[in-house]
Amino acid sequence: MRWFTFFCILLCISLFQSTLINWINIGLAVPDLYFPLVVFYSFTTDFKRNTITSWCAGMAKDLFSEGSFGVYSVFFVAVGFLLWSVRGMLFRGHLVTQIIITFIFSLVYNSMYAMYTAISFNALTPLTTIWIIFICSLYTAFLVPIMFLIFNKFQPAQRFFINR
Amino acid sequence: MRTSATSFSSIIKNPITAVIFILTISFVLLFLPPRISNQIRMTCAAPVRPLQLAVCFCSNSASNFFERVITAWHDAYDKSQAEEQISQFKNKVVEQQDTIYKLQNKLQSISGFQAENKIDKRKPIPADIIGYDTSNLRKSIVINAGSKHGVKPDNVVVSNNALVGRVVTAGERNSIIQLITDPGSRIPGRVLQTRELVIVEGDSTGFCKLKYVPKWAKLKRGYDIVTSDVGGYYPPSLPVATVFESEIKSGNLFQSVKVLPKVDILKIESVLVITN
Repeated sequence: MRWFTFFCILLCISLFQSTLINWINIGLAVPDLYFPLVVFYSFTTDFKRNTITSWCAGMAKDLFSEGSFGVYSVFFVAVGFLLWSVRGMLFRGHLVTQIIITFIFSLVYNSMYAMYTAISFNALTPLTTIWIIFICSLYTAFLVPIMFLIFNKFQPAQRFFINR
Repeated sequence: MRTSATSFSSIIKNPITAVIFILTISFVLLFLPPRISNQIRMTCAAPVRPLQLAVCFCSNSASNFFERVITAWHDAYDKSQAEEQISQFKNKVVEQQDTIYKLQNKLQSISGFQAENKIDKRKPIPADIIGYDTSNLRKSIVINAGSKHGVKPDNVVVSNNALVGRVVTAGERNSIIQLITDPGSRIPGRVLQTRELVIVEGDSTGFCKLKYVPKWAKLKRGYDIVTSDVGGYYPPSLPVATVFESEIKSGNLFQSVKVLPKVDILKIESVLVITN
């Protein structure tokens, strides 16, 4: 696995997500570009690499986000582990599976984060928050074909298992 | 005999130990006091800030350029306006126009602010927005002014004389601003027309909520909310938002009021940090 490429992808995602929000948002919906990266590495790498990449993605998101530092890394590691453990049951090579899985797990981790925020501040409107989570997850899932294409271009999946 | 470095690498090679190790780091960071964790965040993100600034500048320039192109295309239907615009576009290079436009905006906001606050000793610091929050449920921005320019934590941030938020972390050259729409934001306010005291609370959407509005308060759409001098934290009479809709639910102690912030953060490129 090419770690340098991974960190370059992560840097690009961080820059894109933190600066070009005007270009990628549709109303309230802002896609989470980090999450497809977590899904991609959970599908293609071994346990240890998956955990490290999920953690790095979470830390990158934490760096450019207001709120508790480290919370996204914990959530991403948890979701990455969950995905890694169920990937054997999935037909993970198919695009539809990738989209659906990204959507479902994005819903799960965003809901966990919303609960964490609600407990911390007691300021979220439940219905609006659910709606935001839903459309953001949907938007993220729809970006999966493009994102996976890019990741595959730079990190061909067949190369991951060379060093195993 | 094994060295300590070798034993550490052998520990890390074990997947379970590696996972426990990185999760421990996350939890330690999570339970650190906010002041320390924010400092770590600012330090770690510092190398990326110039890149952020460059990308943001390019994005804004491109956005302005496309906006002008679209405007010009729309205005082509109206001949007189189109002729004026074409003559303007011919005489000016797009990039220069963009720079002039930005500087004019900054100058106007500074002079406007100073004209209205002559008695105050508050000093505004102009800053450009260089980054936005990556989270869907938190609302913050990064600006290119920091402690080196005089910005301190808890300074108030305004744009067009309306409240944008407050500084939560001030790095050397950059600062993180918590917007009024962030779920963690609470602002003591007052309804301009009825003089009711309220708390303006963010809820991670484009709107905010008013807390503790009594049921008998008659709020209408378009009423203004300004900062109150309660607490002495925010400068008084700073416009915050306008009432969008209010609803009285039976059984609730207070009204449920939705307000629209005066400043649309996605439509501004620069802000003023008020230091005192």
